[in-house]
Amino acid sequence: MKENKTAPYLFMLPALIIYLSVIIFPVFYSLWISFQSGTGIGSMEFVGMKNYTQLIHDEVFWMSFKHTIIWIVLTVFVTTTVSLMLAVLMNQKFRGRTFFRAFFYFPSVISAIAVAIIWRWIYNPQIGFINQFAQMLGLDFTQTWISTPNTALIALFIAALWQAIGQPMILFLAGLGGISPDVLEAASIDGANGVQTFFHITIPLMKDTFIMVISTLLIAAMKVYDIVKGLTDGGPNNATQVLASYMYNQVFQYNNVGYGTAIAIIMVLMMLIVIIPYMSFTAKKE
Amino acid sequence: MKGKSVKKFLSAVLVGTMTASLLAGCGGSSGGGGSEDSKDSESDKAASDSGVDLSGVEAIADIGYEGDPIELSFWYLQTRQEGTDVLTEVFNKANPNINVTVSYYDTDGIKDACKTAAQSGSMPSMWFNWGGALGQYYVDNDVTYDLTEYGEANGWADLYTPGAMNLVTLGGQVSGIPTSYNVIGVYYRTDLFKQYNLEVPKTIEEFESVCATLKENGITPMDTAGLNGWHVMRWIEQFIEYEAGADMHDELQSLSTSWDCDAVKKGLERYERYCKEGYFPDGFITASPDDTYMAFGMGSAAMDIQGQWYDSTLQNNEVTLENVSWFPFPNETGRMSAFAEMNQFNKNLSDEELEAAIAYTNFLFSNEAAKIYPTYYNLPLPRTDADPVDPAVNPNVQDMLDTSSENGTFTITDQAFPTEVADVLFNNQDAIANGETTPEKAAAAIQKAIESYQSK
Repeated sequence: MKENKTAPYLFMLPALIIYLSVIIFPVFYSLWISFQSGTGIGSMEFVGMKNYTQLIHDEVFWMSFKHTIIWIVLTVFVTTTVSLMLAVLMNQKFRGRTFFRAFFYFPSVISAIAVAIIWRWIYNPQIGFINQFAQMLGLDFTQTWISTPNTALIALFIAALWQAIGQPMILFLAGLGGISPDVLEAASIDGANGVQTFFHITIPLMKDTFIMVISTLLIAAMKVYDIVKGLTDGGPNNATQVLASYMYNQVFQYNNVGYGTAIAIIMVLMMLIVIIPYMSFTAKKE
Repeated sequence: MKGKSVKKFLSAVLVGTMTASLLAGCGGSSGGGGSEDSKDSESDKAASDSGVDLSGVEAIADIGYEGDPIELSFWYLQTRQEGTDVLTEVFNKANPNINVTVSYYDTDGIKDACKTAAQSGSMPSMWFNWGGALGQYYVDNDVTYDLTEYGEANGWADLYTPGAMNLVTLGGQVSGIPTSYNVIGVYYRTDLFKQYNLEVPKTIEEFESVCATLKENGITPMDTAGLNGWHVMRWIEQFIEYEAGADMHDELQSLSTSWDCDAVKKGLERYERYCKEGYFPDGFITASPDDTYMAFGMGSAAMDIQGQWYDSTLQNNEVTLENVSWFPFPNETGRMSAFAEMNQFNKNLSDEELEAAIAYTNFLFSNEAAKIYPTYYNLPLPRTDADPVDPAVNPNVQDMLDTSSENGTFTITDQAFPTEVADVLFNNQDAIANGETTPEKAAAAIQKAIESYQSK
């Protein structure tokens, strides 16, 4: 029977059209816009690399870039660690385990804006839970968590962490569930204690899960926006400004569409730094 | 077997719950949508629930349109949803060939939504906006209908108040229908003033003395909230009005004189001093301005700088006006900060759509509508035939407007400034409060932002 070589491509065509029109074309069109200047309505003026050279001298851009890197590092290390610890805990057999799994997963289904509103009240210096609880314990404590530049970004991250740990926890639970009990039993018989088993057996066997969790968290961290917008709007005085929120302000508040799009292209390049090695690694593995 | 039956039962319950929630999300409307039956029942139910008599608005809702069906979209503020939903239902019911759908946004959300829509060519038929730089964007980018000729043909110069028409005339064209004219004053708690033997301050020295006494007694003197910057700005522009005087302040607002000047520095120094003295609430920089009524209403803050709509805001949030009054900030000129709100219209509307949209706007902002829902309007309406404000409902409104007529006004700063310059001011407000910058550096930074904007 003659093999139909065109049939597979015909089946791929609808998906390809959607992919090209919704993802590929907008990316290249955005690249084109980043070489222009204008308000986004009507014609724009070609300015070449001017937007990018302006970015080099833009203090707020570098501040946003720094905050985004800090956010990425915190997300990769802290969110991964906390989610993993929760997953290990939730993997134990105890009464109410299912309830606690749902309990820790629940914040991840709340929208980021709702999380921001909740945490703005938790952080309220006068009537917020944290300060009120501290005062109840007898501490004379009125910390302005999100209004102080030194604590604002960390306070924002804690709010985001509360929401973010649920999904990685589920992925880690799935990974832990995939480890054969025979392997763990063999390790135990060979004299390995819990910690040794965890670091030398469990973690290596969960390599694929780690790759998936870390790459997902990394990409989400690079484009963090809604919780920043909802909780601090990038303030106080740009102390929590990240690339996504600064890009949004430039395009939609200041009408510097070309300039804001240049920031978006920088963000895309940052994501490619993660995605290309990830894709090469998974391709090699296959 | 028993376990399998339980699992099947639980699965069936979950599927049923998910299906029910999915179907629940498909129904309902937020004004203007749905069948005729649901239109009748929604407005009747809402009106009957609140004991509202709609006969006054029902009598004027029918505009006699019998042409082809028209769909209109209107973007408005979420704080006014309750009354607007009912009134829109009344209008749609009276005009079966016109269907107005209203979408609601918060104060800053609507600015972003309109900008996004403008850039993507998806503006609604009409939208709420402010005057000044905020409305100017849509004029400059040819998005909004030029209503100059329409206004002339329909006698708007006699229909709307001169102050309001002035503030909606941008770039030489009438860019919207004025829907409110607002002035800013200092609301204060009369009970707290009485408790601490305080008089309404007539000079800035007396004002500082009042603040010091309140602070000593554990009351926050000046309520404010810095998220998005504009509430704190209301205090700062008063300090600058005091230091600069009327003429220079007007020049500063029109960007025709440098902000790197002594008057601005002194105004910012006063702000810095008040921050250090603790006259503002702790952590105010990232607090939401939508929530200042809470501290004021609870009596933990004594003064809040607001427009005459605050009478309505407080009542809508169940704060009695018995212990509330106002005074103009003692800036020596007596002038009050002012701004207008308007409805702008999509320039692509057909003649019939424009007529219908204007008719809806005039209905929504009619005396009859404002009478039914006075707390959802910034009263009085900016019309020469506007009903006087009922002092029993809004005791401070008329006095504020009369004072502004007598003493004069200046354009509120965040409407005088382009957004990117206003944001530099707001960032420097935060930085001064946190000790990250000095008033001198802040003034220079604002001027630098102005020069950068003007050189574009």
